[in-house]
Formats: sequence, C-alpha cells, structure tokens
Amino acid sequence: MTAQTTGVPLRAKPRNTPTAAPRKALRRRFWPQYVAIAPFYILFLVFGAFPIVFSIVISFTDWDGMGAMKFVGLRQYLYLVSDPIFWQSVGNTFIIWFLSTVPMLFLALVIAFLLHQNMRMKSLYRVAFFVPNVTSMVAMAIVFGSVFSDQFGLANSFLQWIGGTSAGVQWLSNPWGIKVTIAIMVIWRYTGYNAIIYLAGLQAISTELYDSARVDGASTWRIFSRITVPLLRPVILFTVITSTIGGLSLFTEPQVLLGNSGGTNNAGMTIVLYQYNQAFTHFDFGYGSAIAWALFVLVLVFAIVNWRLVSGRKENEFGVVTPGMFARFGKRSNAKKEVVR
Amino acid sequence: MTALSRRSLLAGTMGASLLAVAGGLTGCASQTSVSTDPRELVLWYWNRSMGPGVLKQAARGIPGTSKFLVSQQPPNTNWDTKLRTSLAGRAYVPDITAINSNVSLYFPDQSMFVDLNQFGAQDLKHRYFPWKWDYGITPNGRMCFFPIDSGPTGFYYRYDIFAKAGLPSEPEAVSASIRTWDDWIEFGRKLKANAGSHMLMDSVQLFSQIINASPERYFSRTGKPLYMNATSAVRDAWNITVRAIKAGILGNQQLATDQNAAWISGKTAGHIEAVWWAQILLSTAPATKGKWRLASQPVRAGNSGGSFLAIPTTCKDPEAAYKFIAWSQTAAHQAQTYNEVQLFPSTPDALTSGIMKDASRGFFGSQNSLDFFKKQAATVPTAFVSPYEQIANFFTTEITNVEAGGKDPDRAWDDAVTQTNRVLQKHGVNL
Repeated sequence: MTAQTTGVPLRAKPRNTPTAAPRKALRRRFWPQYVAIAPFYILFLVFGAFPIVFSIVISFTDWDGMGAMKFVGLRQYLYLVSDPIFWQSVGNTFIIWFLSTVPMLFLALVIAFLLHQNMRMKSLYRVAFFVPNVTSMVAMAIVFGSVFSDQFGLANSFLQWIGGTSAGVQWLSNPWGIKVTIAIMVIWRYTGYNAIIYLAGLQAISTELYDSARVDGASTWRIFSRITVPLLRPVILFTVITSTIGGLSLFTEPQVLLGNSGGTNNAGMTIVLYQYNQAFTHFDFGYGSAIAWALFVLVLVFAIVNWRLVSGRKENEFGVVTPGMFARFGKRSNAKKEVVR
Repeated sequence: MTALSRRSLLAGTMGASLLAVAGGLTGCASQTSVSTDPRELVLWYWNRSMGPGVLKQAARGIPGTSKFLVSQQPPNTNWDTKLRTSLAGRAYVPDITAINSNVSLYFPDQSMFVDLNQFGAQDLKHRYFPWKWDYGITPNGRMCFFPIDSGPTGFYYRYDIFAKAGLPSEPEAVSASIRTWDDWIEFGRKLKANAGSHMLMDSVQLFSQIINASPERYFSRTGKPLYMNATSAVRDAWNITVRAIKAGILGNQQLATDQNAAWISGKTAGHIEAVWWAQILLSTAPATKGKWRLASQPVRAGNSGGSFLAIPTTCKDPEAAYKFIAWSQTAAHQAQTYNEVQLFPSTPDALTSGIMKDASRGFFGSQNSLDFFKKQAATVPTAFVSPYEQIANFFTTEITNVEAGGKDPDRAWDDAVTQTNRVLQKHGVNL
C-alpha cells in the first residue's frame, strides 16, 4: 500500500530488492515502523540518555542542585580515589554481596530441585516462595527492623530462649550484625525468584535422563549433582550475573533499614546508598555523579571478568575452546538431541 | 535485516545524546511559575506546616492585595529535591514556598530568593523571637526566610519512674536538680541504678540538643570552622556526651523500633526535644498518658525544628507575596494555627494573646505544656547555623561509633575533624 503512494510504477521496480529503490522512497515506506517504535526512543532519550550524558557533565562540577555550576575538572574523581568512606562502601557492597549471593543461590537451587519433584500442592509452594519478591520493601524493612532490633527484637529473644548469649547480638549496630541482617533481607527476598528461574531451567531438562538414572539406581543426591547441576550451568550463570548486578547496586534494603547514613560506622553504606546520600541529603550532585561513574567502571570490570571466565575456558570433555556463552547453549542442545536419539 | 554497523550505532548514540541535550535546553522555555494566571500566587507547603484557616481565607483573596492564594502540597518526602529541581530549571516555581529548619542549606543560593527587608520586614523583627528571626538571615545580612513556627526544647521525663527510683519527680524539683550537665549525668546514674531506666535514647540526641542550645555552633558567620579551637562549643558538647556514654545513662537505641519500644516500656524514661515531640510521643506511646512531665534542660533551652517562608525571585508579585507572609504570621494567626495544627508560635505575642489552648490534653498530667515551653522560649540563645553544618555530620556519626561501636573517643573526635575538613577542602573552603 505504501509503495503506491511513492508514485513509482510498481512494475518498473524489481521486487524483493528494496536496496534498488531510492533512499527517499525507502524512508517513506518505513516511516510507520519508525513511528511505531518512536515512543520508546523518545522516552529513552528524555529519561535515559539525557540523564546519563548530563551526569557525566555534572561529575566535573561542584553543584548543589539549584545554583550555579562550578567547573572543577577532575577534582571530584581525585577526591573519590582518596575517600575512605567510598572505599569502605565498596568493601561493604562486596561483603554483603558475597554473604547474600552464595547462600541464596544454593538455597534457590535446592528449593527448585525440591519443587520439581512430584509432590502435592506444588503450585501453592511455588507461589509461596515467590511472594517475598513482590512484597513491599518498606513493609519488609519494618518487619526486619522489629525482628532484628537490638534490644527488643524477636531474633535476640529467640537466642536468649535457646540459651545463647544473654545480651543478644547487636544486629543493627554492630558492623557485622548490620551486614548479616542486610544479607538475610536480600536472601529472603530473592531466593524464591531465583528458585523459579532454576525451576524453569529444570523443566527444560529431559525427564528421560532422570528416568534412566533412577533405573540405574542413582540416589537423589547423585542425580542432583551429576545431572541437574551440570545441565543447569547456563541458568546458574545467568542467576550469578543478575545477582551480581543486583548486589552491586544494592540500595533499598540498607536505606529503609538503616537510613541514609548507612548505620553505625557506615557498616551498611553501599556504593549506591553513598551516591544517593551525597546527591540527595548532602546536595553534592557533582560528587554523587562521580560515584555513579565509579560504580559504572566497577560493574564494567566485573562484566569483563565474567565474560572472560565464561568464554575463555576449555571444555574438559572435548578440549575444544568454545567462543562464548551462547555457543554453549548450542552445544547443550546438541547434546540433548543426541540423548533423545 | 541488515546488521547495524558499529559506526552507525555510534553515530546514532551521539545524535541521540545531542538531541537529549537540546531537549534539556528547550526545557527552559517552559513556564516559570506553577500558575500562569496573574491573579494567582502559588504557595508550596507540607501538611501541618501552615494553618488551614489562614490558607482558606487567603484563597478567597490575600488581604490588601488583588491576588488569590493557591496552596499546594507537593510530596513531603524529598521536599528539598523537588524545590531545588524547580528552582534549577526555572520552571514551575512556586511564588511562595515553605522551607524547613534546614534553611541554611539555601544560603549559598540566596540570590534566588527575594530580600524581604525591601518590603519592610525589619520593622516586624521586634515581634518575633530574636533567635528565630536570625536563623532566617543569610551570612551577608539578607532577610530571605520569614519565621513560621519555632521549637524551644525541654527535658521530657517519666514522672512515675523518677518517683519509683526515689528521685525528685515534680517538674520544679527535677529542673532544680539538673541545672548543669554534670548534675544531669549524676541524676541519670541514680536513675539507672534504682530503676534500670535510661535518661535518653542515644548519644546523637544528646550531642545535637546540647549544640542546639549553644550560642556557638560549628562555624562562624564567615564559614570558618570553630571546632578546632582550643575551646569550642562542639568539643564541650562532645565531652559531655562521652561522659554520659561512659556513665551508661544513654540507651544506645539507634533505630526507631528500639526507641519506640523503650519509650513504651519505660526503659528510656527521658528525652530532650522540642514542643512538637509531644505529638509524636502521644501517637507512639498513648498508654503512657499522664505519666510524662516537662522539666528545664540543663543550662538553657535550645531550638529544634521550625520552618520558614520564602519568595523565589521568579515570583509574579513579590510585594503581594510578602503581604501574604506577614499577614499569615501575625500573632493572632499563629495562635489560631497552634490551636489547629499545634505549630508552636515564633512570636511571643501569640503566647500571651490568650487565644492558644494547651493541646497536650492531660498527657503531662496537670502540667501546662504551653506555659512550660513559653518559659523555655525565653532562654533560647541566638546562634548561626552554617550551610556547612550538613558536612559536619561526621561528628554525629563518630559519636555513634563511640556509643555503639566502643570506639576510642579521642580517635573518633580526630576522625570526625579530619573527615569534615577533607570535605570542606573539596568545596574550596580555606581552613
């Protein structure tokens, strides 16, 4: 239809070779498609690209968010490199990330494996494990604040009841207590989410593998460690990457639990919380932006390390260097075909 | 489908960024005021920061002008961010705005606000508490922020627990036995020994309230740090707080859950805060009604909280806006506002007008909280709050480390000084 509006005689133009048409005609022919995808790009330009570019500009200035911007060159970045609180926040972020991700992914895998078994009320359990992920963070922080409260908390009452320490643990004022509490919040919230992702991965594994393993007399643990885990590797990789991204940008949990200053001794101060704290409570937008870009560099380094780890490794069975994650997906499907055959 | 080449992708991204910048610049062409109607003056305030009666009346016409007031409540959380964004973009700026007690953060950008003295604000000065009036004056003497309410502080305490501990429990007797901070700490020691309760929830509260009651604060009017002097108010407050921590009379309750539980259970039997805290206590621990009393805190009262009204330079009619401000904060209107939303007046005339009725409704037994805070307001010193005080919050972070983390007080002090100075130097302040 649109071709007719161009006024070019249809027969004069060979079909299926749009490159032969003049550019202008092409542009006219495809404008509805461009218009159709425009809303995303316009929104992205306004709320995505502009703030990104603008934050680079701000990071070279000293700006309080309303007055005149003072260009300071690299001063914000130089300060950042020697700022002990920034490095402390980097350390905190990694400690909390490690404390939360390792147990979380392990638990999620176990839960997914159990959910995959034939059991009663399967759907109910699946929903139950996913519910924490859609619970309001603020409500959750209040509950956690009460459970882990230093002097009146449920956790300490429980510890005292089972005869542990008489004074209890200073969950929310001891540096390690704070980190553990935040990690528990993260675990509580994201274990179900990761379990559901693992479950989807599990369902893609052919049941014939399990059946033949059972016939051969393999125990549940053997099936789990020798079939489930190896075949789930790409999915596990995916969850490790998403948890890393989530862990590095950890913000809501410490903010709602401890406030903008990150608790006693800045023990709960994460990189993003520090950035927020500088920009929106100290109104030091220049420094806040510099922190944001430092985080960007950190994430970039992590992404490269991740990518290298995944793509550069030799496959032990065949000794073939595989080019990357996606190639592996392909190889896995080949392997599956083989089994099916 | 043809693959996107790297060059075209880069070109596309660049173009997109340029467009974005251009889009940001054209944003300046949008309207300056929230309302384009020349007869309307828009006021931004948050709930319970202005009297509803006054606003209602002004909506029908601001007396002495041909303007009408349109009052709006932007979201209360991130109030400063919202206001700053409007002012930075010179777009959708209110004609009059309320600003909270962190008013000094606006001093560096005072040129964005109208000097109210040009409309004769200085003639009204004598009607307000001098300390409250001075908080609204910028370091170079411009009067940009007009007083709304004030927050004289006092020592809240549990009458029943003090009595049980065999200590003085009547307000006069308590006030008399805690004239100095050392008396207060000694009193707390006895309270702790006899009743097991704490005098105050945590070290930050004590430290901040001592500074709030001090005529000297962190910085001089010229922005010079005072805490490094041989004797300074900050160091004194620090030493008192450290003594209180060592005496074990502070509760070490760092978060709201613990604090609230401690007030409800009586584990914390005291608090130093302004008049508005009574409302918070009333909703947190309603069962303790009638068991609280008010005593004068050691040395003198301070000020905690209290907001201001300002006119951005983009205002359509600054003179009419000023007329609204002055009219809305007369003694009669402040008294009326106290009866409506319990904002403590900043003009002594409101307190003596006889219009105000004690809002505590028996929370302090037979004690009249209004009479008490009226007396405290007379002792609040005039002080200068510097815009750099936000940076100096390393002191409160470090005093918490001493209390909750057992950090050595002298090391904590040195760390606070070093960290504050580093940030000051980053902002180009000469020490």
